Parts: sequence; structure tokens; C-alpha cells
Amino acid sequence: MPPSNSLIYLVDDDASVRRSLSRLVRQAGYEEQSFDSAEAFLAACPEFFSQPACAVVDLHMPGLNGLDLQQQFNDRAFHCPVIFISGNGDIPSSVRAMRQGAVTFLTKPFHDEDILQAIAEGLASHRALLAAATRVNEAAHRIAMLSEREREVMARVINGSLNKQIAGELGIVEQTVKVHRSRVMEKTGVTSVAELVRLCDMAGFSTNKPG
Amino acid sequence: MRAFPVSRHIRHRGITPAPCNTPIDAPPKYRENHRVSWITVIWSAASGACLMLATLHFLAWCRDRRSWANLCFPIMVLGVIGLGIAELFMLWADSPEQFSEAGRWAHFCFGICVAGSLGFVHFYFGTGKYSLLLAALSLRLLAVIVNFTTGENLHFEVVHSLRQFNLFGEPVVIVDEWVENPWVRVGQLAALMQIVYFVDASLRLWRRHAPNDRRRALMVGGSLVVFILFASGHAGLAAAGMVHGPLLVSFPFFAMVLAINHELSRDLLRAARLAKDLKESETRLSLAASAAGIALWELDLRSDQIWIPEAGRCLYGVGPDEMTDLPGFFATIHPDDRSRVSDVIQRAVNDTQPYAVEYRIFLPDGGVRWLAATGRLERDEQGKAILVRGVTLDITPRKVAEKAAAEHHFELAHLSRISVLGELAGSLAHELNQPLAAMLSNAQVGLRIMKSETPDLREMEALLADVAADAKRAGGIVHGMRAMFKKDSLPQIQAVDLKCVVTDVLQVLHSTIFACHVTVEVEATTTMPPVAANRVEIQQVLINLLLNSLDALRGTEQGAGGPDLARIDITIGREGDLGVLTVRDNGPGIPPDMVDRLFEPFSTTKPDGLGLGLSISRKIVERFGGSLVSVCETGRAGAVFRLTLPVITDQSNSCQQGGDGSILSP
Repeated sequence: MPPSNSLIYLVDDDASVRRSLSRLVRQAGYEEQSFDSAEAFLAACPEFFSQPACAVVDLHMPGLNGLDLQQQFNDRAFHCPVIFISGNGDIPSSVRAMRQGAVTFLTKPFHDEDILQAIAEGLASHRALLAAATRVNEAAHRIAMLSEREREVMARVINGSLNKQIAGELGIVEQTVKVHRSRVMEKTGVTSVAELVRLCDMAGFSTNKPG
Repeated sequence: MRAFPVSRHIRHRGITPAPCNTPIDAPPKYRENHRVSWITVIWSAASGACLMLATLHFLAWCRDRRSWANLCFPIMVLGVIGLGIAELFMLWADSPEQFSEAGRWAHFCFGICVAGSLGFVHFYFGTGKYSLLLAALSLRLLAVIVNFTTGENLHFEVVHSLRQFNLFGEPVVIVDEWVENPWVRVGQLAALMQIVYFVDASLRLWRRHAPNDRRRALMVGGSLVVFILFASGHAGLAAAGMVHGPLLVSFPFFAMVLAINHELSRDLLRAARLAKDLKESETRLSLAASAAGIALWELDLRSDQIWIPEAGRCLYGVGPDEMTDLPGFFATIHPDDRSRVSDVIQRAVNDTQPYAVEYRIFLPDGGVRWLAATGRLERDEQGKAILVRGVTLDITPRKVAEKAAAEHHFELAHLSRISVLGELAGSLAHELNQPLAAMLSNAQVGLRIMKSETPDLREMEALLADVAADAKRAGGIVHGMRAMFKKDSLPQIQAVDLKCVVTDVLQVLHSTIFACHVTVEVEATTTMPPVAANRVEIQQVLINLLLNSLDALRGTEQGAGGPDLARIDITIGREGDLGVLTVRDNGPGIPPDMVDRLFEPFSTTKPDGLGLGLSISRKIVERFGGSLVSVCETGRAGAVFRLTLPVITDQSNSCQQGGDGSILSP
């Protein structure tokens, strides 16, 4: 059973398709929100996602069609995966959809397993995305807790400089460097230099421009 | 010259005349009387000749009772002959009494002669005035009555004595002493009236400017006037005593008879020649008719008899004894066409419409033949329709060709619909896949629900209701498609609501329209009667027009750029007896080099188009008596097509949806 906190957005102009899809995803244990047009969906969709989400979008709709929606969606900082469904999928549309990063492209009528599979894939990737984002936030938060001096020491540590070299460069005694270093390890919660390197990398901490 | 010694006492009417036995100092009377005088010979010969001519024309009248002139002529001639005989009696009279009595009969015969001549001129010229004719006849009748009631005759109150007179060597008697009858003025007035009538009729005939008419006016009218003037003048002068000699009125009248006979005989001869010419031309005509495969015919409306020459009968497949009247003719006509033919005949007779009709007949071998008949109505002088004359042509090959052409057109229209199906395949697949997708999802959810330990039956019920609704919807789409793309008999003309057609077509095309980012606006007048057409075919025409507009908009700036800019406006309105549907787009319009041959087959600007859509559309619309044209609107880009169809005014405006052969619906 998938986690119940996942949200599925359904965007289709056809009421009966919308209703059957909503019934399907609810039966599969997801929360869902239905929209009868791309415009309505874009207006209602949050800037930040608090839970894993996935959009099932009809390709042909009056007004903005599915591909236009994806285009506008991609321009945002945060977005969720898109699954396309279409009554008559032509090759150019499907190629464009996939290149724009769609999870998959399903032709109506589709099998329930196929769409649930696609939804599961979409949610998994979104969940991973959300998790990664959380870790980045965490790392940046920890690094932000360091003092100026500690960050300078950390930058040299992850560059592989020895304590003696760091002391020389910063004009402080080696003992002081050791104190800063242990405080950095303590504040960031890492146990080895290797871990520290990974954390800095995740947080986008640049070694070239310390401080 | 010797005078008869005649008793001088005045004789009165009603008193038996005493025998006049006064001896004449002359050779014995019997010898003189038995001498064959030249007067007797000439008078007899002239009378005989006149009688013969009279008989001839009388026989002509017997054969053709309508030629009244031919009857009047013998009457006139009989009058002349009687006048001649009476004159002979006057010439050989033994006594004044005999002379007067003969004179009385001479006037009577002259009256007959005048009546005959008046009648003759009336019927032969046909130009005289009725009032003048009646006046002349009445005066002459009065003169005849006066002739019998006053004096001894019209001329003489009393004849006292006679005397002998030498007429070119023949001794005859003439009046010697007499008293003139004052009533003779009535006779003179009658003669004057006659002359007035003859002159008037002749002048009218003369003014008609036909060459034969002029000669007739001169010969007949002239001779009548001259001889009556002569007769009246001579009689008047003789009676007035200014001229001495016998009354010789009949002799010039013999000449008049000859003159008139000359004219009548010319007519008879001409009629004979015309009859011969007619016979020949009939032969030629029937030869030409049989060579051309046409039949000549005549329908006599008074007796409903039909005349068709031998050669033309084979066209109807009937023998010489069949189809000789109107019921016989109707019996051969195809039952479906009978009332139509009857209507056309009625209209031709009553409303002076030309008789032109196409109908089918049954041949004796059971076959059917198409005939086209055209005819002209002939009326009598009173304007009553008496005859329809015309020709009939076998148009079976043409009808067969027309039917084949209609079938070809129908095939082509069907193929064109099939090709439209190709263009619409995407749209139709989308339309059909929507309900199918919904049904499949619902069914699979249903399966899952059923597998659970506690199935939610309420949800199952809602789900199954959705499945049923979607199945109906899919069925409707398939039904509509079948109606449009299946091929059956030639489409029938029915009452079509243009608004419904537009609605249906927009539903079929809606995904295509969305795909092209086109806005479609429909504007229709509220009170729009249905038009006479075929629903499926008009849908096809409209689909063609809209697909053309969509194609034009697809490749343009408007189409690719802003969705609000590319648009198609459809207007439905009424102009008099026509329903008008206009499709207007704001695409690039029709290329100038295409404008002229837009509706020609195989002219196209599309790389994958056959170029048949518009030509077939126009043919479809024309079949219903409508038109399809491209309209140029100045100062405005884009193409405008205007479709007109005749409206049905006296029917209820009902919009029939779905299931009746329309392309589709929801």
C-alpha cells in the first residue's frame, strides 16, 4: 500500500474521464484533486510541495493544452512529475512531452496497472526529489551555524590541507586550528572528513570562496 | 319602233286584271315567241353557268359547314338567276299587269341577291361593321315589303301602257306610260346603304395591307359597288324616264357573279394546292420525325381525342387503334407521373403556361421509357382552348445518363466523406477514446472493489451508472459515424435545421478546432425556418468548409501565435426564400491564382489534398437548388464562403438530434 500522504492532480476537460480517474486513484489509496482545465490547475497548484505529488494531464484540452501546461510548469522552481494521457497520441506530441520531462505518455483507453505504475514512478521520483531537497536544506542549515573562522578552517580541511598548513595560512597556532576543527565536526554532526566533504558538496559550499 | 296600243286606265292592285287582248299589228305572236332569240340564249346560258357555280360552292359549303361565304354565294346567285328570269318575263310581257307582276318578283329576287351579297361580304371579308350590315339588310327587307304592299311594284305605282323596243335587233317590251311609286326611295336608300357597307368593308380590308386582301377588296367589293350602282342607277333613271330601254339589271349581275366566283375559285384552287403542299410537308415532317425519333401529336380538347401519326406510334409502343383518346394516353403513363402530366395539361389550358413535361410510360413488353413532350395550345376566336399540338421525344438515354451521373456524384460524395473521415480520424479517435478510457478505468476500479473484503456497493452503483452512460455515449458516436460514412440509397431531401447542423459539426470537429487554437463563433437568427436539403450532405459541406478554414489558420501567425486571434465566424440568416450560412475565417485568404478555379475539381493548395472538397460541396448544394460561392470582402483578410439553400416556410421548425442520421452527438 502506498503512503497515503501522496497527492495526485487530475487535469482533464472530459468530466467522465476525470471522474473515473479520480475513482481509480482514490481506490488505489491516494489523495486527489481534479481540474477541468490547465489554467485552473496552474492557479491552484502550490509553489512548494509539502507532500509527494504527481499530475495526470490530458494532452488535448481547450485553452492551454497539456504540453503548454508542462512548459509553464517547468519554468517554476518547484514542480511535480507529469503523466500525459491522450485520446489520440501522435508521435511529435509524445516526443515533445518526453523531452520536456514527462514520466510517461499513455494513450486512452489505458490499463489501470499502467497508470498506477506511472503514478508510483512519478511519486517515487518526486519523493526522492523532496528528500534530497530536505537534506540540502539540512546541510546548508548546519553550515550556516558555523562561525566565520570555523568556515575558513572547514574550507581548508575539505581541501585536504594539514593542521599545520592551515595554522600557517590563517596565522594562528596549530592548537587553535584543532579546536576549530573539532567544533566544525561537532556542529555539522559529521564523524569524518569524507562526510564533511559530502555535506559541503550537497550544500553547494564553495571551497574557492571561503566565507 | 312601234308602240303597243295599251289601255290607259289605271290598274289597281287586288282587282283581277282584264285580259289584255288588244291586238298588236305585228306578225303572229306565237311565231315571234317561238323564235329563239339571242336574249333567251344568253340569259339561259348565263343562268345555267351561274347555277353551276352556285352548285359548286353550295357543295363546298356542304363539305365545310363553317365556310358561310360559300353558302351566301349560291343564295346571291339564285337571286341573280331569279332576277334574270323575272326580267325575261318583263321583256316578253303581254300586258302591263304581267309586266308589273314580273317587276314585283324581280325586286323580290333582287332582295335575295342583295341579302346574299351582304352576307357574302360579311363572311368573306370579315371586316364589315355589324351596324351597317343590319341597316342595309333592314332597309332592303323594308324595300321588299314595300314592293309587295304599295303600288304595282317598288318602281311603279301604276303601269299604264307598254311599248315595243328594239334591243339590239330583238323586239322586247318596255314601259311606256306609268306613275312612279313614291316608295321607290326606300329601295334607293337601301341601295345606298349597301354601297356604304360594301365600301366600308372593302376599305377596311384594303387597309390590312395583305396582298390577297387588296385584290379581294378590289375585285369583290369593287364589282359589288359598281354593279349595284349600275343596277340602281339604271333602274332609277329608267323609272324616272331619263333612260329609254328595258331594265337590264341581271345582266351586269351575271358579270358580278363571275368576278366573285373568280375570287372564290382562286381560294378553292389555293386550298387544293395547300392541301397538296400540306400532304407533302406532312410526309416530309413524318420522315424527319421518324429519323429524329420524335413523335408528333395533337390533342383535341373538345373531344379528348389524340392523333398520332403512324410513324410516331412506335415511340409509345402502341398500335393504330390504341391510345386514341386522353384516358388511353393516361393508361400508358407510369402511375407516379400521371397526376403531374394532368397538372401540366390543366395549367397549359387554364393559365397559358407552355406545355412541357417529362414522364415515363410503360411499354407493352413491360419496359419503361422516358419521354419529353412539348406542345403549344391553340385557341378559337373566343379564346377557348381547342387543341394542343406538340412533339414527343424519347429521352430514355438522357435519363439513364442523368441517373448514372447522379450515382457517380453520389459515389464521389461518399468517397469524399471517406477522405474526410481520414482527416477526422484523429478527432474521432479522441471522441471515442474518451468514453472508452472512462469505462475501462471504471471497470477496473470495480474489479478492485469487488476483490476487497468489504466491497463498497454504493460506489459500485455510481461506477456502473457511469459505465453505462459512457457506453451510450460511445454508441452514439459510432452510430453517427456510420450514418455519415455508410453508403446507401441516394439521399432524400428533408427539412434540415442549419443551427443543428452547425452544432453537430462543431461537436465532431471540436478537438481538431482546439488543436488548431481557433475560436469559433456562431451567430444565428432566432427565427430560422428549416431548409430543404439532406442533413448528412450539408454536414459534409460544412465540415469541408471548416476543415479548409482550419487548414488555412493552422499555418498562420494567428494560429501559431495567439489563440485569441485565429477565429472562424459562422452566421446563419435568412434572405427571402433562402437560408444563408456564411463561414468566415481570418486566415491568409484565398491565393489570387486560385480564386477562379476554386470550385474546379483537383485544384488544391494543400500538399496532400485531392482538391475535390469544394467541387463536390458545390454539386451537393446545387442539387438542392442552393449555391456555394466564395465572397470577396474588401478591406478584410481571410476567406468567406456563402452557402444558400431554399427554406421550407410552412413546416414546424424542429431540431432533431442524434439517431436520425446526423453525424453525431453527445
